[in-house]
Amino acid sequence: MSDHQHPVRTGAHAPAAAEHATTRTYIVIAGVLTAVTALEFGVIYVRRLAPILVPLLLTLSLGKFALVVMFFMHLRYDSRVLTFLFVAPLVLATLLAIAVMTLTGEFLVFRR
Amino acid sequence: MAISHALRSHELAHAEATGVWSWITTVDHKRIGILYGVTAFAFLVIGGIEALIIRLQLARPANGIVGAETFNALFTMHGTTMVFLAIMPLNAAFFNYVIPLLIGARDVAFPRLNALSYWLLLAGALFLNVSWLVGQPPDGGWFGYANLTTRQFSPGLSIDFWMLSLQVFGASSIIAAINFIVTILNMRAPGMTLMRMPLFVWMSLVTQFLIVLAFPPITVGLIFLMFDRFFGTHFFDVAAGGDLHLWQHLFWIFGHPEVYILILPAFGIVSEVLPTFSRKPLFGAQIMIYSGILIGFFGFGVWSHHMFAAGMGPVADAAFAIATMLIAIPTGVKIFNWLATMWGGALRPTVAFHYAAGLVALFTIGGLSGIMHASPPVDLQQTDTYFVVAHMHYVLIGGSLFGILAGAYYWWPKMTGRLLDERLGRLQFWLVFAGFNIAFFPQHFLGVAGMPRRIYTYSAGSGWHLWSFVSTVGAFVIAVGILLFAINAVRSLRHGAVAGADPWDGRTLEWRTSSPPPPHDFDEIPPVYGRDSFWREKYGDARGRKPAPRPPVPDAHGIHLPAPSLWPIVIAIGIGAAAVGALTSLTLVFLGAAVMLIGAFAFALEHHRNPAHVHQIGGLGIDHRKLAMWMFLGSECFFFGTLIATYMAYKGRSIVGPHPHEILDLPITTLSTFDLLMSSLLMVLALAAVQRGDRRQARLWLGGTAFFGLIFLGFQAYEFTTFVHEGLTLQTNLFGSTFFVLTGFHGGHVTLGVAWLLTLLVLELRGRLGSQDAIKVEIAGLYWHFVDIVWIVIFTLVYLVP
Repeated sequence: MSDHQHPVRTGAHAPAAAEHATTRTYIVIAGVLTAVTALEFGVIYVRRLAPILVPLLLTLSLGKFALVVMFFMHLRYDSRVLTFLFVAPLVLATLLAIAVMTLTGEFLVFRR
Repeated sequence: MAISHALRSHELAHAEATGVWSWITTVDHKRIGILYGVTAFAFLVIGGIEALIIRLQLARPANGIVGAETFNALFTMHGTTMVFLAIMPLNAAFFNYVIPLLIGARDVAFPRLNALSYWLLLAGALFLNVSWLVGQPPDGGWFGYANLTTRQFSPGLSIDFWMLSLQVFGASSIIAAINFIVTILNMRAPGMTLMRMPLFVWMSLVTQFLIVLAFPPITVGLIFLMFDRFFGTHFFDVAAGGDLHLWQHLFWIFGHPEVYILILPAFGIVSEVLPTFSRKPLFGAQIMIYSGILIGFFGFGVWSHHMFAAGMGPVADAAFAIATMLIAIPTGVKIFNWLATMWGGALRPTVAFHYAAGLVALFTIGGLSGIMHASPPVDLQQTDTYFVVAHMHYVLIGGSLFGILAGAYYWWPKMTGRLLDERLGRLQFWLVFAGFNIAFFPQHFLGVAGMPRRIYTYSAGSGWHLWSFVSTVGAFVIAVGILLFAINAVRSLRHGAVAGADPWDGRTLEWRTSSPPPPHDFDEIPPVYGRDSFWREKYGDARGRKPAPRPPVPDAHGIHLPAPSLWPIVIAIGIGAAAVGALTSLTLVFLGAAVMLIGAFAFALEHHRNPAHVHQIGGLGIDHRKLAMWMFLGSECFFFGTLIATYMAYKGRSIVGPHPHEILDLPITTLSTFDLLMSSLLMVLALAAVQRGDRRQARLWLGGTAFFGLIFLGFQAYEFTTFVHEGLTLQTNLFGSTFFVLTGFHGGHVTLGVAWLLTLLVLELRGRLGSQDAIKVEIAGLYWHFVDIVWIVIFTLVYLVP
């Protein structure tokens, strides 16, 4: 917990607009998340989807991830600085994870 | 000393108190900076003594001063001490003391967290060095390559000391780094835009990002090692399908950015010292900033050049070789810009200038040998030879330590109000400069002649005797130089010439306040007129036009100095006790954990509802706490990314069953996923209720979120017990090890989130959570939603993807 105040603004950065989602939006998002989770559960039993199953599941997962971050975590409405602080490490961590998986797991980008 | 009328008298009394207790409870960034500096210097001496013993042993062939085992311990402790307990905390001393002054702030964003970072560092340092006293110092190298470090090959406590202390250092470093990121982004004086920030602040900012993002992978690697050693998992067990490369990757994903964590602050210091003593602006300041950012960014893409000899294959070797060569470009830009800064300047050859110029020369040598290592065929010839030892020391002594000594001479008058003796300083510089080159340049020859590093002795016929002896002589000359610095420092404190506020005719804001600064740093928040603001204020721009004086910025809430706090040291003692307990007694682990938890709760609630702590909106218009939480979540991306990557890399590599498709229960997990997603809905409803002051709904939704979290934990407990009954444990196979550690750490995060929510609920039930506390619910909510999105990824990759 922080314990020091500094009320002065640099002036170069305007505070983010205090716009927020409404309760109705939250409930709609929760509904979409529920539907997509049910869809994820369902598609793995559809044999005809087997060739595209992995990219399909990753896309659905990415969609859920983005919805929670944008609406429940308010990143859609907050300062771009916060987006940078989260998304830049997220992208870098994802790239490093793919590299580590490739270098130790012999799959994805190239073989050793 | 002129003290603003706005400063409260009791705060001033706290700030100016002396005595041991005032230092134990201090949260003043300047005092914490001094604590870091003194502690780090002590460990620099200890690490130096370890180095001298190493050099004595190698001074002549077949020497018997120490045996092989002690030698292993000496080079392990020397490396670990110098990296984590000397150079990093010496840099931290400057971060603490100087950054708030350079940006025109009165303290850091989180003064008590700042104290916690220091006390954690000290606890970890003492814990690590206790290993000498119990006769089991770490001996697996500072890199701790698996599987030398597993219980099979290191059965004693030595690796446990190393492993646990590194975890404590990591926690200390990440907490401090987030604190400084928030401080730099959110607490700059009005007019101090990003591009007007001094280079030292910029390089420190890049360094903090590196710390926040590079430490989680090694933290996860150490967790794997801890589980292998304590609980019999198989992360680094080749017989069970484990891959030893995994440790090397995790270590060097941290280890290479660590090099920049050590060197970038020194680059920043030199970028302050050279313009001051050249009486010229820094040449190409913006390009210098971009170069520093690029170095930090590329620093994450070159780690595997430490592993060329590990057999990664031609594609990986080529990719990492190219990336490594690319990093020389921004580094070269810095070298040339420093030279251009000095070119044509009115040079004042102070000791600080000597060290800064020394860095430019010596780091260039280290950088050039670094480019040689970037070529895999060349590197294969140099790997594990003294050539690498020479390269590394040209970077870390010629670079980092020279930069730190430049900073010490430069900012000493600001910190103490007295000057160091320049004549003694120059003698000290030439001793260190000469001793360093005598010690380490011959090691290039030794490496090329084939002398392996980490050998405790060699035969007389090897041809390595002469240069080894010369190197030892050089090491002792460095030691004399460091001793002279200590003498100079003590003499300065007693008899040094009094320094005014601006003894060097400085360019930046720290020289605008008294030496040493008052507890509140500045009586008035200083105006910023551009880059090198104080210089412009004194002498005007390039044409001598002075800016029109601006009125001081009013302090909307008066000057507030944070109150001292005991809880940071209590938390550190708890963690230290738990670490000791991990090696001795489970009871002590629980006792230490209890002390830590009590300390953490007291810490969190210490200033709850204190009016002075309600408004923490900084220059970006964002609350400090929210900014810190998002940065922490960025760091957590690396933590869980590493755990998930390991699970994926080890997928299908278990030698024995059960395998995932035989045991994972998809319908049950889909239900628990739904439960967790719905808890996120309740969390946003709770926040909305707190924001509008609806206490009944706030109670309902906070309690509901915690309840849904508990249901999720119930699902997880059911899943774990079912798996154990079906024969899958941590020890069964690689799948069991990776699955339980990944989902277990996620469950641990959920547990922490539930505890946090229940604390907020209790505060609400006691009527102590009003709409003014909405930010506290918001940051708890951010954490909770993050736990949710991590589970979205785990659900897909672990349970759904075939």
